[in-house]
Amino acid sequence: MNSHDPLGPVMQPINRARGLPNAHYIDQAVFDAEKRRLLFANWAGIGFAHDVAEPSDAKPVDFLGMPLLILRDRAGVVRVFQNTCRHRGMILVDTPGKIRGAIRCPYHSWCYDLDGTLKSTPHVGGPGHNRHEDIDMSTLGLIEIASYVWQGVVFANIDGSAPPFTKVHADLLTRWREFDQPLHFGGETSYFALDVATNWKLAVENYCESYHLPWIHPGLNTYSRLEDHYNITAPGKFSGQGTLVYRQLCDDGKIFSDFAGLPDKWNEGAEYIAVYPNVLLGVQRDHTFAIVLEPKSCDQTVEHVALFYADDAADNDLKDKNADLWRGVFEEDLFVVEGMQRGRHGIKFDGGRFSPVMDGPTHNFHDWVARQMANRG
Amino acid sequence: MNDADLNTAILCAHDLRDPARLIGLYTNAADRHEHTGDIDAACFFLTQAYVFALEAGDDRTDVLHQRLVNHRRA
Repeated sequence: MNSHDPLGPVMQPINRARGLPNAHYIDQAVFDAEKRRLLFANWAGIGFAHDVAEPSDAKPVDFLGMPLLILRDRAGVVRVFQNTCRHRGMILVDTPGKIRGAIRCPYHSWCYDLDGTLKSTPHVGGPGHNRHEDIDMSTLGLIEIASYVWQGVVFANIDGSAPPFTKVHADLLTRWREFDQPLHFGGETSYFALDVATNWKLAVENYCESYHLPWIHPGLNTYSRLEDHYNITAPGKFSGQGTLVYRQLCDDGKIFSDFAGLPDKWNEGAEYIAVYPNVLLGVQRDHTFAIVLEPKSCDQTVEHVALFYADDAADNDLKDKNADLWRGVFEEDLFVVEGMQRGRHGIKFDGGRFSPVMDGPTHNFHDWVARQMANRG
Repeated sequence: MNDADLNTAILCAHDLRDPARLIGLYTNAADRHEHTGDIDAACFFLTQAYVFALEAGDDRTDVLHQRLVNHRRA
């Protein structure tokens, strides 16, 4: 380790480690580097599968300036393309909607099929001549971005350098294999977004540890005490927390249906895991949720939250109440992540020291960030 | 409809972003030029009609495409 390496102390064992330096939260150059090395080089969440619920649905997404198009092809498969025409680089689709036939570039009308195939190059050989010997249409389809849908989230490896999702996240897929079953998005009121004045990583860090629960979420703590939680740390992969006392929402005797075939450990168990880099997931016996963190800048993040159920028959009032409950919990966290962001302008802050007992999930994330940043270019 | 009226109708359909009407009007223009033997002009309008049909998933897409193929323009 170079003694001047600012990330060296981050990669030490937790009892000696310091947190990520301030620059990782407030410096534009570091933000840009993290964009490439953390968010584009890994499997980042870019949206939800229910955003393109039916075949031919398409939704443009601007992910850190990268123009993407999420669509569901005619066979029902969710695919992600670079939302850029292969001709003059025009943005292809500007608004969500249904692609009835082909994707037509609004500039010179080159047309693409839903599988990305270039279908038509009108007048490319002159007026009324739609082919040219130097334009090999078979090589000019839309650029497809590697994608994978899990837990309702559309993950994308934008630079194409990561191993397959199922390999990278094999341990987590195994850990939560019981929840690998159809998830039913709760509908319009089961989605909300929070604009937060913080760096996206602070949202990850706050999510994955339970240390703060008695102070920030005292309402939860009345039944879900700190000692009922356990840390989840998978070095280089993911981290989070679990509870042993999950209590189902009950309203006038109404409860949600359970997911099918869950073992008994999930009767009162629930887990909340940060899937690096930017997806936060929670699983409970009767519903799951996913948070996709959309980094907007060094100090601005949008948290996209969606809740999922075991079937479409879940009671609407109960779903609304559940969404309100979670919104309340996540809103309780806002002043913390925003306060930590402001705190990182303190020029004497050295990254902070971790509780060797309580901060393992956060340290695990910092260690991952540091190694990703240190190991690549 | 004379050529001037057809031109006006096409511009109006563009303003309204009405693909079904655009397909019909451009096909009409193509038919006229094909009839007079001006194949280049006919294929220009056929191409316009075909592209809007392709985008819209319109039932006329395959027929328009075949006409371009017949002229070796697709």
